[in-house]
Amino acid sequence: MVNNNLASGHLHQKEVNQLVRAISAMGLLPIMLVVLIAALSIFEPRFLGIFNILNVLRETSFLAILAAGQMLVLIVGGFDLSVGAVVALSSTVTATVMANLLGIMPDDVGLVIFAGVAAGIGCGVAVGLVNGLCVAFLRVSPFMVTLGTLSITAGIALLLTNGIPVYGMPKVFVKSFGRALWLGLPTTVYVALALVIMVWVIQRYTVLGRYIYAIGGNLQASLVSGVSTKTYLVMAYTMCGALAAITGVLLTARVGSGQATLGGNIVMLQSIAAAVIAGVSLRGGIGRVELVTLGALFLSIVTNGMNLVRIDSKIQTIVLGIIVIIAVALEEYGNRRKIRE
Amino acid sequence: MSDASVSVQKGQYARMMVFIMRWLMPICLVLMALGFAAVEPRVLSEANLVNVATQASYLVVFAAAQMVVILTRGFDLSLGMCVSSVSVLVALVMTGIVESNPQSMTLAIFLSVSAGIVFGILVGAFNGFCVSVLRVNPFIATLGTLNICYGIASTISGGRPVFGVPREFSNLVYSGEVLGIPAPIIIASALLVIIHLILTRTVIGRGFYILGSNPRAAKVAGLPSRLYLTYAYIICSVLAAVGAMLLTARTGSGEPNLGGNITLESIAAAVIGGVSLRGGIGGIPAVLLGAVFVTVLSNGMNLTRIDGNIQMIVLGCVVIAAVFVDRIRTK
Repeated sequence: MVNNNLASGHLHQKEVNQLVRAISAMGLLPIMLVVLIAALSIFEPRFLGIFNILNVLRETSFLAILAAGQMLVLIVGGFDLSVGAVVALSSTVTATVMANLLGIMPDDVGLVIFAGVAAGIGCGVAVGLVNGLCVAFLRVSPFMVTLGTLSITAGIALLLTNGIPVYGMPKVFVKSFGRALWLGLPTTVYVALALVIMVWVIQRYTVLGRYIYAIGGNLQASLVSGVSTKTYLVMAYTMCGALAAITGVLLTARVGSGQATLGGNIVMLQSIAAAVIAGVSLRGGIGRVELVTLGALFLSIVTNGMNLVRIDSKIQTIVLGIIVIIAVALEEYGNRRKIRE
Repeated sequence: MSDASVSVQKGQYARMMVFIMRWLMPICLVLMALGFAAVEPRVLSEANLVNVATQASYLVVFAAAQMVVILTRGFDLSLGMCVSSVSVLVALVMTGIVESNPQSMTLAIFLSVSAGIVFGILVGAFNGFCVSVLRVNPFIATLGTLNICYGIASTISGGRPVFGVPREFSNLVYSGEVLGIPAPIIIASALLVIIHLILTRTVIGRGFYILGSNPRAAKVAGLPSRLYLTYAYIICSVLAAVGAMLLTARTGSGEPNLGGNITLESIAAAVIGGVSLRGGIGGIPAVLLGAVFVTVLSNGMNLTRIDGNIQMIVLGCVVIAAVFVDRIRTK
């Protein structure tokens, strides 16, 4: 394509270059997303049904929150394998706390819900803190630390519940929050939107966000410039844990029970996939939450589309795997071209 | 006190630390075994020791597979799912041939084993291609392959175990004995010797170490890095395939969920034994130590009736501790 334009004159080439630059700044993702939505709308009318759209939005919200957390950790050059297990732990803890407190004080539903949610998110913060402290102070490889905490967290979640779903949460929490629609949209969407905007503001306008980029871009340089790298590393992991825990609470409200099987490794893989598709670099220093949200939307639509055209869920995982590899290979190819230019 | 004596003391201190770090895991292993034996004497009974050795022989094969790629600064997250796919594939081919002509048992075993190994080679070549030619981060490449293998395993099996693996196969590689030694131990030992020879005596093996400890130097020295990286992933997946067949013989069926925890356990065993995640450090002795450690730990916890969920927590703590020790050791 570029060669054809070369032949048609310099002026033309300049415009093309600008276009190419604009596209490469955004990545291929928005274009692929538009193509995907157009194709699905044409070939599968049910895709545009209101229930289906709400469904896609709900799935996107869960994934977007998780992927935003995963992105923060990827930006500082780490990994968080424990997010799926944190979802499970926060789900079981939230449900257990709520069910037990409701027995003690059945009248204070508001307080019960608050305590349950706080306990769930607290678990995520705790796991994130452990991850961050191990990575920052023991300087252990993030992959291995979070592999360890994955095992520990999943073990605690199973131990708490013996693998049995925990029922008995206040009905208000499930009916008028988890499964409710506000102004025609699932409540989850609003929560996700608020969190994504919060992360966006942090990334764009706060010192914290800038330092997180700086640490991922060049740890040594940021250390020399007087950034207290350890603090910010710990904060990135803690935020990731907290976001994963919030996803767990939202899923619990939606499902109506606390389950140690929520989350798991598939969710963890999807969160990494969504981030990577959105151009978050595994080498650190690069990643924008607005694109990651698009990545989550893309993955949810691909899954939804395959469900609608009745592609077997087993084959879907094959497609997911191929998409992830292609996305990273393209990013890698783009990087090498940039360096050459 | 003169400077010289201080530095001598410092040197002694450093040497002592190195000595402690080198022998820390073996000492922990012995202490742990004795601790379990104090609570539950059956831990050291002959039957249980044979049992531990047999169980460790499966894990050590997977850990050795993982070690080969970790040496080159890689990872293989797809190992567990590769095990599942091979298990199902081998069971399907074997039962298929035996059903159509029951006489050709040898042929069935031969063909299905070959199919499993070819599948392993294909998975390894794909991983290697993604990592070395497309230069995809090994974590992501094998994450993709994990999904692909999971899809293959559950599609061809329909999500159900494949029953009817002929008893002859199990007799051969599971319950068979040579001079009283169970077949899995013999096969695993043979594989370990082969890998040890490849790693220590061949150009390719030394190449893996160079690739891991200094990729730039390897390139400058004219090492065919891409080819060697691909070899490493192929060796890994073939070992995983062989391990999968051993496990299939043990369960007597092709299981799409066989590989569930194997990836994590193999990485844990390798790292506990002292294989460095930064590449270039490790070997068969390390893998052997790690696999025995993990097996003794889980066997001891089983015999002392520790809840399976607590076992997960303990394994997680051990992994983190092992990586921390590795960190100090290589500093």
